[in-house]
Amino acid sequence: MILKVAVFWGCRILTSQYAYEMSMREVFPKLNSELVDLPETNCCGDPVKSVNASAANYLAARILALANESGLENLLIPCNRCHFAISEAKAVINKNGNLCKKIIDLLKEEGLQYNPHIRIWHVIDFLHDFIGLGEIKVAVQKPLNGLKFATHVGCQIIRYTDLGRVDDSESPRKLDELVHTLGAETVDYAEKLDCCGAALMHSHPDSALSLTGTKIKALQNLAVDGLVISCPECGLMFDTKQKDAQTVVGAKLNMPVIYYTQLLGLALNIRAEELGLHLNQSPVDKVLWHIPV
Amino acid sequence: MGLTDLMSMAKSNAESRGKILSKLGGRELVNCFQCMKCTSGCTALKLLELKPHEIVKLVNLGFVNELASSDIIWTCATCLKCVERCPQKASPYHVIIALRNLAVEREVKVPEGYLKAVSQILETGLAETIQKVVTNKMETFDRESLKLPKVTPPKESFQHAFMKMLEEK
Repeated sequence: MILKVAVFWGCRILTSQYAYEMSMREVFPKLNSELVDLPETNCCGDPVKSVNASAANYLAARILALANESGLENLLIPCNRCHFAISEAKAVINKNGNLCKKIIDLLKEEGLQYNPHIRIWHVIDFLHDFIGLGEIKVAVQKPLNGLKFATHVGCQIIRYTDLGRVDDSESPRKLDELVHTLGAETVDYAEKLDCCGAALMHSHPDSALSLTGTKIKALQNLAVDGLVISCPECGLMFDTKQKDAQTVVGAKLNMPVIYYTQLLGLALNIRAEELGLHLNQSPVDKVLWHIPV
Repeated sequence: MGLTDLMSMAKSNAESRGKILSKLGGRELVNCFQCMKCTSGCTALKLLELKPHEIVKLVNLGFVNELASSDIIWTCATCLKCVERCPQKASPYHVIIALRNLAVEREVKVPEGYLKAVSQILETGLAETIQKVVTNKMETFDRESLKLPKVTPPKESFQHAFMKMLEEK
């Protein structure tokens, strides 16, 4: 049976991190899931939180209302920051009756209905818990044996626990297990929970790039084949801006950075170009060489 | 201005403190006993000297106006470790967001990126503009050439609603 799931891409994926979108559109149909795009979406509210938290909550609530329009029960949110903004807005609106009424009324003006009961998923828990490791294992055609990766789950899908998050806040394992399912190994490393720095790009870009570069530098000492990520903001920093981070940390950086859905696509025998691997700015060729043709 | 300079002529203000507490809607900020778990794990401490436990203490003492005018509240990387680890649920991250909102209300200098994001959302619904990307082989791609579906922006009624929410304090 084909499972239909609504997907909210957020801004970063729709405007520049196309590799994540392309690889998701390729791999989910192979795992019997159909992605249904929400039309006429808006920003999740993340950058607006710092300006006006109530307005940010309205933006997040509108996404849940759009998901309600789709008639589907499950909403997939591949961006960590969107996932957090919408999860937290749900909790805030639930506790604050006045805000809730205001938002419901505003959405009504657009003919939309707020629905807090939509189940929110991230790519990691959707693949790990909903589709399941067993299903993925069966679908693998080209096991990635012999490759060793570091994983970076990011910050906002694992914290804070009170909201109900995707994985354990101090010791996340699901992304590692997903990589193992494809036949590759992962390493544990001291910097695993260090932030990519994306949120500081608005106010302190040099510090942001310093966080990015420091983590990549640490990884280069570990002899891993690449860094596996699953958030477009982390992709922006570790992949797109890796070269910019070089000058900030004063070191040569050449770490392949790859979205989990791209790695999964390779194991499912999808061509690299269809997974957007030609769009990665980091040297992903080094990973592709190891994949049998 | 830096916090040290602002604190040299600081005055405690109970009204502003009350404002932050009401924005926090029931978070138990006053229970902070300065264990510094937040600061010891803070992402921005290493680079930008953000000390979340100090922020919480200063709010508790009523030095809210000084904090709202200071650059330090814009150094948080929003990694949420302090929210997770705070044993008293004082949650410095939420205090910092409340202080940023107050700074915007008072039209203190706010990093341009945030205001740009808001005007971009008013224009297209999204916080970013749709970009062309250039590969390492110097090929240029956009959504169309990558066969990705067209992005449809929300209708005007969305702008009205968003404006209404922005105008409320």
